[in-house]
Amino acid sequence: MTDRLGPVLLLIGALVLVSARADAETYRWVDDQGNVTYSNRPPQPREVPPATPEAQPAPDVKAPDVKGADVKTREAKSPDVKAPEMKTPEAKAPEPKGAEVQTQPPKPRDAKVSVPPNPIPKTGPTKIDELLDLAGVRGQLVGLLSRVAVDLRPPPGQMSPADQATIDRILGQSLRHDVVYGAVRETFRPQVDRPSLEATAAWLRTPVARKIVALETASSEPDAEQKVADYAAMLKANPPPARRLELLQQLDWVTGANETSADLVAAIARGLSTAVSAAGPPESRLRPGQIEDRAAQVRARANETLREVRTMSMLYTYQALRDEELSEYVRFSGSDAGRWYNTAMRRALVGGIGKAVEQTATELVRAVPLERWARAAMPAPQPVK
Amino acid sequence: MTIGTVRAVVCAITLVLCLASIGAPQERKAPAANDLDRAQAAFQAGRYTEALALARRGADAAPTSVRALTVRAGMAEFMGEFDEARTVYDRASALAPDDAELIYLTASFAVRVGEYDRALVQLDRLLALHPAHVRWLFQWAPTYLQPGLLRDHPALEHIVQIKLDILSERGDLAQARQLARSYAIVKSGENYCGEAQAKSRDGAEREETFKAFRLAALGQPDAADCIWWYGQWLSDEGYVRLGRLMVIEGTRAMPSAGGKESRARYLRIRLGGNREVSKRAEQLFLVARQRYLRDGDIDGAVRLFDESIRLAPMFARPYNYRATIAADLGDREAALAWLQRGLQADPDSWRTHRNIGKLLSELERYPEAEMYLRKTVQLFGDDAGGRLALARVLYAQGKYDDFAKEARAAVALLANWKTPVPEVRDFLSKFDRWGPGEALPPAPDPRIIVGWNHD
Repeated sequence: MTDRLGPVLLLIGALVLVSARADAETYRWVDDQGNVTYSNRPPQPREVPPATPEAQPAPDVKAPDVKGADVKTREAKSPDVKAPEMKTPEAKAPEPKGAEVQTQPPKPRDAKVSVPPNPIPKTGPTKIDELLDLAGVRGQLVGLLSRVAVDLRPPPGQMSPADQATIDRILGQSLRHDVVYGAVRETFRPQVDRPSLEATAAWLRTPVARKIVALETASSEPDAEQKVADYAAMLKANPPPARRLELLQQLDWVTGANETSADLVAAIARGLSTAVSAAGPPESRLRPGQIEDRAAQVRARANETLREVRTMSMLYTYQALRDEELSEYVRFSGSDAGRWYNTAMRRALVGGIGKAVEQTATELVRAVPLERWARAAMPAPQPVK
Repeated sequence: MTIGTVRAVVCAITLVLCLASIGAPQERKAPAANDLDRAQAAFQAGRYTEALALARRGADAAPTSVRALTVRAGMAEFMGEFDEARTVYDRASALAPDDAELIYLTASFAVRVGEYDRALVQLDRLLALHPAHVRWLFQWAPTYLQPGLLRDHPALEHIVQIKLDILSERGDLAQARQLARSYAIVKSGENYCGEAQAKSRDGAEREETFKAFRLAALGQPDAADCIWWYGQWLSDEGYVRLGRLMVIEGTRAMPSAGGKESRARYLRIRLGGNREVSKRAEQLFLVARQRYLRDGDIDGAVRLFDESIRLAPMFARPYNYRATIAADLGDREAALAWLQRGLQADPDSWRTHRNIGKLLSELERYPEAEMYLRKTVQLFGDDAGGRLALARVLYAQGKYDDFAKEARAAVALLANWKTPVPEVRDFLSKFDRWGPGEALPPAPDPRIIVGWNHD
């Protein structure tokens, strides 16, 4: 569990920054050379290796990739643990108000989410990788980076095929989740406080935490935005109980998820500005202070947007959790260990992702000069009648 | 006319003059028209550095052209290149000693750099250009005749206004008031202060309000509040020399001991107390600030700030701007060093304490930041933004009780100013309900108090 990465991902996804084209599908696949490609079109037959049980074409994101033989991914069947049923108000069918109104309560979306049957036993000190795996960081980064890649990719038809191919290649290589994960881990490492780390790991091994990680990971999938929108529409007819809202607000408060999302958006904006500015002519380059100003402006705008969407995203993400489970989550997040983890993770994410975006943008503008990006952004000339 | 007005008029006049003087009899050689025209076009387009470069080239190509020299001098003055401006004005004056507009510009420039005696000589020359009967009337006619005279001869109005500025800036406010009365600039029995306050309340044009308060300072010596307000406004605008004198005058006129004390504190923590700043240093600072904020001209601004510091080493504001530039260039340690120098220059500078506290907070050096921000609110208790910044660093250190105290005090202060800070209220309400959260509290910086905003 990232404690905050889950909601953060959803919130970021709701922002213009990473969801400007709501109607665009995103596809991700790995070719036989191991190159990852992000595109708004499905892979063509020659672009993907033949499907084998080991190599699945992926727009899907795995559940938390927790090491250990006893850990099951969400694809793994777990007959003894069912997805929890939603409690009230879902138990009450909403009043039908018209043809467009749902007559069924929102269904828990975690039919696929399975929870490991037992807490993971652990002896000896927990490694950082182990902690981050327990938190599902790696899996959730996949979702986040795929959204960033979609946003950095120019709309179809605006670039020449050669430039488009170059951009796709760079995005596939630079925004690899394992690379960014490495950066996040390295930023996390110096902040380690051993007792807090062990307490966090112990919490993450509990069944409720495992379940939360699975939910957050599922929410980080690229298609979650549409699901949140659908869910929001359903909630209009069937508003959540006040207790649930209170718990979610409290969760947001103790984890600082909203602030972290805004920090991430600012870091991405900063990384882009830095790279683009450095590629421009010297006289038009931005000073560090100007870049910071822009990042602050973006952050302020993001904060406004996030305020509006955060509750909805969290309602969606945690809909399968019971109030008691959510309370447990809040309790841990407000503990000393939870606070340490939240702070350390915020810094690690903001630092790691900001750096990755800056490096990617630097490579993009080096490979495809700015003027070609600018030209691509111009409307196509109209044919002369 | 205020100093600010004069400056604006000078800039406009400089350019108009340059066009108007094309056919002047003093013109001994055709100017390099292309460069000058392009200079003026660049100036009007806001490309000031380019404009000055073109003006220099135009003047070099036509060294006996009054127009070319005047354009260059005006632009050099505008850019804070005062030595160059003076040299070129002198050259132009030698070519056209009786050019009234040029004399006016030269006098105005002399006031700008604090060469008051020189300015007075120029004003005498300007007066001497008028017919004898006009001069006689200007000097000896009764007050009731003066408004008509000044209306018919605008140059005389300029002379009076510049003299008022000179007397005020020299600290001889009694003489300035006498002069204003004798030329019917102000009249006894008028409620200038009330009018100014009404303009301010009704949201009149900024310049109009400014003029109204100036009249109050000249026409109503007992209007302590208005004089004080005028001084604060001047301080905010960067006219610290005249601002300081007006604050002192407003304090003198203040009847209550409490009022005197708070105004004395303002003088100490905002205007350097007894540290008088020369006019030239003040003007260099003002132009440097413009060159940095408006033009992004780092090199030019740094040179002028440094010159201002050299002339007035106890003047805190240029140090703060040097720190801002360093921070904007990404060198926060250098920014800290500049702020430390600023505190050495003026240990009671509220703004410097505030800036250093906020910078240390950004650097997450919270205990040090707390020290400077505590001093900030100690120096100026009504600084709501400073209190919120302090509240944030207290929270970051886990000093939650102190945080709540400072944040609530700030919210209460802002409520008095009818400035809600919903994000802070929201944070406090969650804090009260759920205890400390993960995110640091917001620390907005509402600029609400005239006279405290633009150091």
